[in-house]
Amino acid sequence: MNDGPVSTFQFLGLTFSTANVVSGTIVFLIAVAVIFFASRHISMKPSKGQNFLEWLIEFTNGILKGSIPADQVSSFGLYGFTLFLFLFLSNQLGLFLQLTFHGATIVRSPTSDPIVTLTFSLMTMMLAQFSGVQRLGYKKHFANYLKPFVFWLPISIFEEFTNFLTLGLRIFGVIFSGEMLLKVIWGLATSHGIATMIVAVPIEMIWQGFSAFLGAIQAFVFVTLSTVYISQKIEEE
Amino acid sequence: MLSHLVVAQSLYFGDSLFYIVCFILLMWLIKIFAWKPITKMMSDRADKISNDIDSAEKSRTDAAALVAKRQSALNASHAEAAEIVQTAKSNGQEQRDQIMAQAQADVQSLKTSAQKDIDQEREDALSHAKDDVASLSIEIASKIIQRELNADDQKALIDSYIEGLGKQHES
Repeated sequence: MNDGPVSTFQFLGLTFSTANVVSGTIVFLIAVAVIFFASRHISMKPSKGQNFLEWLIEFTNGILKGSIPADQVSSFGLYGFTLFLFLFLSNQLGLFLQLTFHGATIVRSPTSDPIVTLTFSLMTMMLAQFSGVQRLGYKKHFANYLKPFVFWLPISIFEEFTNFLTLGLRIFGVIFSGEMLLKVIWGLATSHGIATMIVAVPIEMIWQGFSAFLGAIQAFVFVTLSTVYISQKIEEE
Repeated sequence: MLSHLVVAQSLYFGDSLFYIVCFILLMWLIKIFAWKPITKMMSDRADKISNDIDSAEKSRTDAAALVAKRQSALNASHAEAAEIVQTAKSNGQEQRDQIMAQAQADVQSLKTSAQKDIDQEREDALSHAKDDVASLSIEIASKIIQRELNADDQKALIDSYIEGLGKQHES
């Protein structure tokens, strides 16, 4: 179980978790490598890598088109694409690579930590607010909080917080529980030698596959809900 | 068990900052390496495909127009050929009629002139024969009379005879 001490360090007066920084860096490097090597030799007749990237762009743009008006998709396309790529890789990282150093976990899914998922959630919320002000102006943007009637204001404000929390905690819950169950099954596998190993390893593999699926679904859901929250802010009700 | 949860300890705001920086950096790198060139290429391709479709449509209509033009030209040439044959036929008919008429006329005129010649000839022969008979009878008569008339009487007789002939000829 993940009971080891959490390794932290101080930098510029801020506290950093080693696991999050290392895992985040790994995800970042993988993402950059994938994008860099897939985007060589861009031509009219797409090659393998270009085909993959185009498919991914079409996919995330498709998510965006589901809720954002078609003429505004292009301004959020890059955000949706980067968000999906980062979250997808983050969700998958912990399934295949978990490193423990001096008893403290240093590599796992970044998204199995609520501070990371809530960071992305906060980013989406801020982008939604910013886009709302940018497109509608301050007056209309804040007037939306008073709809359908003025007494709705506390609920509207409360809704912003619940959106922020549910968006971040949903993905955290799924990924965290997936990783924890992997650890539980692995603990079972190593508990009584070879006999439990034979039983537990197939279960572990099945759960790993399922978690990979869940990780993809959660990245998709996160991007979908992000676009929904953004679309609520950029449209006049 | 909750000890590893960040919420159970102090919040790592550093991590938030780190992830935001990471994300923005990643977004920037993706924009440079992939997003801009690929979306540009995708829109270029979309333009090219729509242009290709337009030009294909244009060449299709052009081809259809060309086929129609060829068809009408073919029909026109058929009609023209038929007309040429018709003209040639009527020309031939006309020419044949003309030649026949000419030949008939020629034959007619030849026939009449031949008839005329024959009549002339016969008349001439008749008048010659008359003259011959006259001169022969005169010769015979003179030969018979020569023995009985002298030169003066003879001369007078001949003169009167000649005179008679001239009168006869005049009438």
